[in-house]
Amino acid sequence: MKSTVELMAPAGNFESLMAGIHAGANSVYFGVDQLNMRARATMNFTLGDLEEIAEICQKHDVKSYLTLNTIIYDHDLSIIKTVTDKALEVGITAIIASDQAVINYCHQAGMEVHISTQVNVTNFETVKFYAHFADVMVLSRELSLNQVKKITSEIEKQQIKGPSGNLIEIEIFGHGALCMAVSGKCYLSLHTQNSSANRGACIQNCRRPYIVTDKESGYELEIDNEYIMSPKDLCTINFLDQVVDSGIKVLKIEGRGRAPEYVQTTIACYREALDAIAEGTYTTEKVNAWMDRLATVYNRGFWSGYYLGQELGEWTDASGSKATQKKIYIAKGQHYYGKTNIAEFKVEAQNIKQGDTILITGPTTGVIQMEMPAFMVDDVFSTEAKRGEIITFKLDERIRNTDKLYKLVPNE
Amino acid sequence: MVIITLQREKCIGCNYCVEMHAERFRMSKKDGKSVLLNSLEKKGFHTAKVRDEEMDFAQSAAKACPVNIIQVKQI
Repeated sequence: MKSTVELMAPAGNFESLMAGIHAGANSVYFGVDQLNMRARATMNFTLGDLEEIAEICQKHDVKSYLTLNTIIYDHDLSIIKTVTDKALEVGITAIIASDQAVINYCHQAGMEVHISTQVNVTNFETVKFYAHFADVMVLSRELSLNQVKKITSEIEKQQIKGPSGNLIEIEIFGHGALCMAVSGKCYLSLHTQNSSANRGACIQNCRRPYIVTDKESGYELEIDNEYIMSPKDLCTINFLDQVVDSGIKVLKIEGRGRAPEYVQTTIACYREALDAIAEGTYTTEKVNAWMDRLATVYNRGFWSGYYLGQELGEWTDASGSKATQKKIYIAKGQHYYGKTNIAEFKVEAQNIKQGDTILITGPTTGVIQMEMPAFMVDDVFSTEAKRGEIITFKLDERIRNTDKLYKLVPNE
Repeated sequence: MVIITLQREKCIGCNYCVEMHAERFRMSKKDGKSVLLNSLEKKGFHTAKVRDEEMDFAQSAAKACPVNIIQVKQI
């Protein structure tokens, strides 16, 4: 049995978009150009990509959500209209907005609106207010599951409906990065680098280690962790049954800035977990296995956020990822022989052996993770291939010449 | 003479350059990105040759830009 909770995947580029779709996401969210919370990311989509994204999503029966959720200045008002009109024209499902200018324009133009977590919705009356404009609302990351449940039950009880005539759906964050600021409203990056987090240009200086000094005495305060402003990543898979029970309709996975294999692994785990809950087969053994898999991709260590009512955050003790695996570039896609299902790659970096865990990623392929099968070098079966050699092996899924092949190794 | 260069494609529309040097920078009403007034474009780089008096303002704009797309050079 499939879960009725919608699983939403992040897409920072076409690789991640395909990875999320193939791994079982029901919807994807992404930004174009500058007015989204990852405007600084180099791999952002552009307005010109919108049509292709919409087409891919429609083909795979996946909903598409465009983020337009930074703070907005007067000089942005025209581009908002351009982006919204284009989204409407190509058939994007909805726009995720936080500024009233965007919410109002989408509403007027007949574009479905979802209220972003940037709005910091923390109570039922606010839900009622935004119900005039929006059908889906992302609650503040700082609420407990009890508070979430209270809001979803009131929606049901008072039959609060959005513009579509359906009951308001509540969405929350299920997995991924958290930050120290309330609903991301942070001034730190702007203060030090003029780079506003609320214009999608957060430089993440909270993720660095800091020393706290008493200026009067010059003494450094004893703090057992220098990463005093960097929380661990949110992970809810070990209490996902309680999350589902809170009455949410959409579970969002954070990570538009992360790699496609992150999207693939995370979405696959949460897909399995949601379906297991629906089937009544959600067990501790499964949870442990999912936790191990989630730890293989980028993470700062996991904690349960504020959902279970902890009083204080948990802070990471590392500057970057604590992923248990890392990927090493090996080969570039050359050709796919469709009749015989043979994939051809050119080894451009390190050696590859039969039995290695490999990752193939690309804008159309998404992510394929598998064990390196028996392969040929120059039409002769071989167990190892070196740089410069062309390898071929049987693969049921089509690969492209834009694909890259990586080897997964333990991260020491 | 001072040369100001703007690589506007990467602009995130924060408005800092306009705050620092309103005479030379404007926010485009069309795409919400910064415009370098009286400049010439070549392969995405917009260049303007301006008087020395603008140096301080132009440098403030370059320094304030969060995505480092403004360059200022004295010639």
